Amino acid sequence: MYKKQFPLLLAFLGGAIPIVSFFITTPGDRLKVTTDTLQDWMLIIAGAALLLGVVNLFQINLRKISTRAKGWPNALWLLLSLVIAAILGLADAFDTSVFGIWGGDVAFQWIQDAAFKPLQSTMFSLLAFYVASAAFRAFRVRNVEAGILLSAALIIMLGVNPYAVKILPFLPDTTNWIMNIPNAAAQRGIIIGAALGAASFSLRILLGIERSYLGLQKGE
Amino acid sequence: MDMMERLMNLDRRWLYLLVGLAAVIPILAPLNLPVNVSKPVQDLYDRIESLEPGEIIMVSFDYGPSTGPENDPMGDAIIMHALARDLRVVIIALYPLGGVTEAREELERCVGDLDPPNGQIESTRFPGKVYGRDFIYFGYKDGGLAAMRLMSDNMHEVFPADFYGTPLEEYELGREVQGYDDVAFVMSLATGIIGEWWANLVNAQFGTPVAVGCTAVSAPKYFAYYRAGQMFALLAGLKGAAEYEYLVSEKYPQLADITDSFIYNAGKGWDVQSVVYSIITLFIIIGNVAFIVERRRQKRGM
Repeated sequence: MYKKQFPLLLAFLGGAIPIVSFFITTPGDRLKVTTDTLQDWMLIIAGAALLLGVVNLFQINLRKISTRAKGWPNALWLLLSLVIAAILGLADAFDTSVFGIWGGDVAFQWIQDAAFKPLQSTMFSLLAFYVASAAFRAFRVRNVEAGILLSAALIIMLGVNPYAVKILPFLPDTTNWIMNIPNAAAQRGIIIGAALGAASFSLRILLGIERSYLGLQKGE
Repeated sequence: MDMMERLMNLDRRWLYLLVGLAAVIPILAPLNLPVNVSKPVQDLYDRIESLEPGEIIMVSFDYGPSTGPENDPMGDAIIMHALARDLRVVIIALYPLGGVTEAREELERCVGDLDPPNGQIESTRFPGKVYGRDFIYFGYKDGGLAAMRLMSDNMHEVFPADFYGTPLEEYELGREVQGYDDVAFVMSLATGIIGEWWANLVNAQFGTPVAVGCTAVSAPKYFAYYRAGQMFALLAGLKGAAEYEYLVSEKYPQLADITDSFIYNAGKGWDVQSVVYSIITLFIIIGNVAFIVERRRQKRGM
């Protein structure tokens, strides 16, 4: 019972109370107060989930290192980076508020400026090269659908290009039309579809039909 | 091997070299390409221009360093525009992978170095503007949707202290902002899904006006929200940032004198992006011409 029913009941109450409080006002706003408390808990759980992620990362990568699995030096480097960043980050937190002597803020800022930012920016900027190469090789008019996609992409790319706009001044309006009408309509369909999917999945969890988050198989 | 075949089998390293040159040359020698201001960008500019001095706007840094080149210039231009209009600015960060430092860096880039715990609270770039009264940084909060939901009427529960650890109650601006009703609008500088949450939670449930500055790659999705009126304005990628920067620099040329070379970067970035776009477009056209010619040849059995 404690393994199945109790967690299911908790999930039901945790989901149902905020939904009900959105539609119904109770005397003394008790439902709203409960909902606010649940939301406080959610913030705490979100923080705790981060810790759970770190533990999981250690478990997986330590196993990789101890068995000398393929790419184990990368796993070692990952854990070292994590530990160093965490130590300096914590030193930073205490440094500014309590001790003020460790220089943790300088070291953590240095990691941010000299490693984290350039690495993230580099990873993202590499996309420009890959996109250019992939567009040249794969963006071909193989059939009608690909032709329509290619035409729309070309109009939009040219429509935001100052050189092309000088030659073809109608392009920005055409670009705006594509973004505002066909694109917005298609995106709206995708967003509504995804929202309905999320709502039905949430309902399955609330009603106890979907139990995979408890580690239970279908029918258990 | 004739020319068409050579084109079809072009070594990708040539393309990489061209894209690399296209990225570097306009940075070294800016082209100052013209910018056409689009309506979603003009809407944000007009809204800020229409606010009364003293009104409060909230800027949420919902991105990390990876999209900094696109989002940073948006943050710079909006904060500087707001301060030039004598609006007051509340800054928060909700993105876990670097949002907290992005927000602090952009704020300090706009107002100058700050050290409120040690008394350095006056802006060196905007004389007379003071931390805690004219602008404030609430810091980062994890939890995304839950935090945004709770901020509606319990701002101080989500952010009991500012970024530097001082209780919000100790600052005039901190005391004044208790929920979304106290701000004129929220501007989310977003990568990923957080910008959508501002629209479909904060705007939809609490009626708070929301504008989003997003990366170019996610702009098509955001147009659906803009068209539906769930966002009153949209800055789409570096182009949107360059357009906004252009509007602000035209109206407030004096801002150029109080900033350094790290501000107003969207125009330079847009130069680079335009040249790279041109190369990609050209290569797509060349690739397709070669593809069509080759296919016709094959059909004819040549």
